[in-house]
Amino acid sequence: SSQQNTIHRIQHIQTCLTMAPVSKASKKLFDYIVIGGGSGGMASARRAAGIHGASVALIEAHSVLGGTCVNVGCVPKKVMWNTASIYETLRQAKGYGYEFSDVKFNWAVIKAKRDAYIKRLNGIYDNNLAKEKVEHLHGHASFVNASTISITREGADAIEIEGKHILIATGGHAIIPQVPGRDLGISSDGFFELEEQPKRVAVVGTGYIGVELAGIFHALGSDVTIFSRTKQILRKFDPIIKDTLLDHMKKQGVHFTFDSKVTALRKSGNGIIVDFESDGQKGELEVDCVLWAVGRAANTKELNVEAAGVKVDDKQQIVTDEYQNTSAKNVYSLGDVIGKAELTPVAIAAGRKLSDRLFGGPQFAHSKLDYINIPTVVFSHPTIGTIGYTEPEAREKFGDENIKTYVTRFGNMYFSVLDEKEPTAYKLIVTGKEEKVVGLHIIGKDSDEMLQGFGVAIRMGATKADFDSCVAIHPTSSEELVTLR
Amino acid sequence: MLSSKPIYDYLVIGGGSGGLASARRASGIHGAKVALIEAQHRLGGTCVNVGCVPKKVMWNAASVAEALRDAKHYGFGDQEPVKFNWELMKEKRDAYVKRLNGIYERNLGNDKVEHIQGFASFVNENTVRVQTSESESIEVHANKILIATGGHPLIPDIPGSNYGIDSDGFFDLEHQPKRVAVVGTGYIGVELAGIFNTLGTQTTIFSRTKQILRSFDNIIKDNLLKEMQSVGVNFAFDSKVNALVRESENGPITIQYESDGKPETLEVDCVVWAVGRLPNIKKLNLEAANVKINEKGYIIADAYQQTTQENVLALGDACGVAELTPVAIAAGRKLSDRLFGGEQFKDSKLDYENIPTVVFSHPTAGTIGYTEDQAREKFGTENVKTYTSKFTNMYFSMLEHKEPTAYKLVCAGDDEKVVGVHILGRGSDEILQGFGVAVRMGATKANFDSCVAIHPTAAEELVTMR
Repeated sequence: SSQQNTIHRIQHIQTCLTMAPVSKASKKLFDYIVIGGGSGGMASARRAAGIHGASVALIEAHSVLGGTCVNVGCVPKKVMWNTASIYETLRQAKGYGYEFSDVKFNWAVIKAKRDAYIKRLNGIYDNNLAKEKVEHLHGHASFVNASTISITREGADAIEIEGKHILIATGGHAIIPQVPGRDLGISSDGFFELEEQPKRVAVVGTGYIGVELAGIFHALGSDVTIFSRTKQILRKFDPIIKDTLLDHMKKQGVHFTFDSKVTALRKSGNGIIVDFESDGQKGELEVDCVLWAVGRAANTKELNVEAAGVKVDDKQQIVTDEYQNTSAKNVYSLGDVIGKAELTPVAIAAGRKLSDRLFGGPQFAHSKLDYINIPTVVFSHPTIGTIGYTEPEAREKFGDENIKTYVTRFGNMYFSVLDEKEPTAYKLIVTGKEEKVVGLHIIGKDSDEMLQGFGVAIRMGATKADFDSCVAIHPTSSEELVTLR
Repeated sequence: MLSSKPIYDYLVIGGGSGGLASARRASGIHGAKVALIEAQHRLGGTCVNVGCVPKKVMWNAASVAEALRDAKHYGFGDQEPVKFNWELMKEKRDAYVKRLNGIYERNLGNDKVEHIQGFASFVNENTVRVQTSESESIEVHANKILIATGGHPLIPDIPGSNYGIDSDGFFDLEHQPKRVAVVGTGYIGVELAGIFNTLGTQTTIFSRTKQILRSFDNIIKDNLLKEMQSVGVNFAFDSKVNALVRESENGPITIQYESDGKPETLEVDCVVWAVGRLPNIKKLNLEAANVKINEKGYIIADAYQQTTQENVLALGDACGVAELTPVAIAAGRKLSDRLFGGEQFKDSKLDYENIPTVVFSHPTAGTIGYTEDQAREKFGTENVKTYTSKFTNMYFSMLEHKEPTAYKLVCAGDDEKVVGVHILGRGSDEILQGFGVAVRMGATKANFDSCVAIHPTAAEELVTMR
């Protein structure tokens, strides 16, 4: 309402008077304003400016570009997974006829290198933006109205710019539960700030983030306990994946507290005490580090989206249609902030398709990302790959009688000369007489690199016969996917 | 026990990849009466005993060495010098292969295939004589006969060539040689040289040209050559080995060779011949069955694995087309379907196009379809477009040595149909299979691009090429 608008404007001016200015924008009106310099925002901004010649301003609140993925997500996570994998290999070296001197792992060495690598990437992202003539504005964005953005920054005047089109790609943040002592724990952000390796770790949460970070800690030699609200981990994944991984993690010595609820954290002489209830009983566990991995929430709070008429859902995620349109004309949103398939490549693909549609001309009028059959990998130990429906989902959608599964379990040849064994398990889910592949779930060494090609085939509508008609590559693990019986 | 004149629906000569697959399919699935003849005292042929399987075990062992060298850069302390216990690994490897021999034996039994040990030769198109011992032989009669006798390494006819070993001999090596020369630059030579070098043996590759993997796409052979040079593999280019000289038994070997026409010598402890392979046909007495061979000695078989004699079939390395285990297996199964599976399988055959294959080099390489040069020749340069990507795998971001990754898509026509995929880099061995499925489905560049990338992986670069 107009009264609300006035109130907002007054609040906004008050904010501006107390906050510092930003550097000046080169102009007042842009074709495209992108709020958020993470995976989605960067991709969309660069496409619009570099390929389609639009005038683009990108606003990033942090002092570095790259968002979650580059700074506190995919990239540093993968560096740590590589590190953990090396240690796994080193411990297997004896079985392969080598001597390995098991010196203490120097967490600080890898943290320093990892930070330096990310810094290099931040610089590359800066250059990329500049190369494509995207105007990079540093500061905090909020809506004045559906076509006007206010940018505030400490130590500078607020500025306002207008955009013919505006993209909200502000991402998300880790949720810290509302329990006493919550700040004694860290989130995934905090994981990447750790200067030393904690000896004993509690990971609260069993989604992929919790599982990945727990896996890294454990592989590097920390004592790990995972707290699960249920009896499972990776609850949304196919049973072949979650059951196989849980089994293996237990065998490898990861501790689990099932059916549990963490009620408080307390400081102790030797570390942190986790108070919890499990199966109706109270318990406590002393650790050196508590990692909250209980979910993520959208970054919408300080955007003042109401001023633009942009609707959010009950989780404060921005509501969009399949074209990334919000409820406000010429305002769009994508990436983690809309809470749909929260993955870097999804945000990138959606961002590019959107820029094609907005600025690429009539041939791109219907350009949008197809959110079906998005392949994704979990960097657990061993890794996991998944695309399409899980078996329960497929049975529900297509009916039991229309579903067939093909499953294989085997030992990767790598373990044939070792005492320690790691499982590999693959499941193909097909439907209909032609046995169209509607789901593929794999767990085992190298699943992370294996999945992409099969993703292409499945998106092309592959059937079991298509899989089978490709000659196997030998000796690999992947060949088992084209020789399923 | 065997009678002197058993009559089989199907007699398979050769218990390797192709023979076993075909025999088991015919008997186990289609209920034919099958006998399989194997000259060696173990099943599995080249692949299980002196090929794919022990090769992969060694490649795995070499990969562990790489991790040990990388360890200090990742915060695990300096693990060098990396000392490898070759003897222990050979023992474990042999034990594993033996386990597989046993499994193959049991599988044959479970599928009710009669296993005859001995050396086969044709008496006529329906009769094979099997030499079961020096003095004993039996005759076996069959309606259909499959020749799946495989191949063997070629050793050149030069003075002292017997001082060198071949790939079979590589797997007999009890101890790790300090210095090795690998003669030949096909995938076998490249793989074995890579294993040696990675395990710490001083390695020299002898090439008749300036290249390695000559029949592979440029992006693979050029980048792999550079990488091998940068990790210490020596190369003698434009070279021709003339003789091997050895003064004392088990002593060092002197290689006398020409490089660019100039005479040179090199002293090593071991020489591996990797100059090609030949089909196992010599003692088969093919003429007695009217089975013809081509000018290179390979058995002539048509698209249905049919030889020049109507009831005699052939496949696998003995035919010299796409000499790979899975090709022999697939051809063997399709053949048994066609011969014994009934009407629905009467046109069953293996499509030899777009067969994906991987080389276990360091890093690994994968390839399917036409090389860029082949594509330009087949489709015309104006109809071919290539997409390439060269980058450094994130794994090397923490290391000093940056191993390359290089990918190339070869596309043809207006719709940019993918007619070739060539990849080199960490992970290539497991990346290729899925893309193989897509390429065989007729994938276009747009199909590749329309699949959302998986991050962070190396494979994602194949669906985001510009």
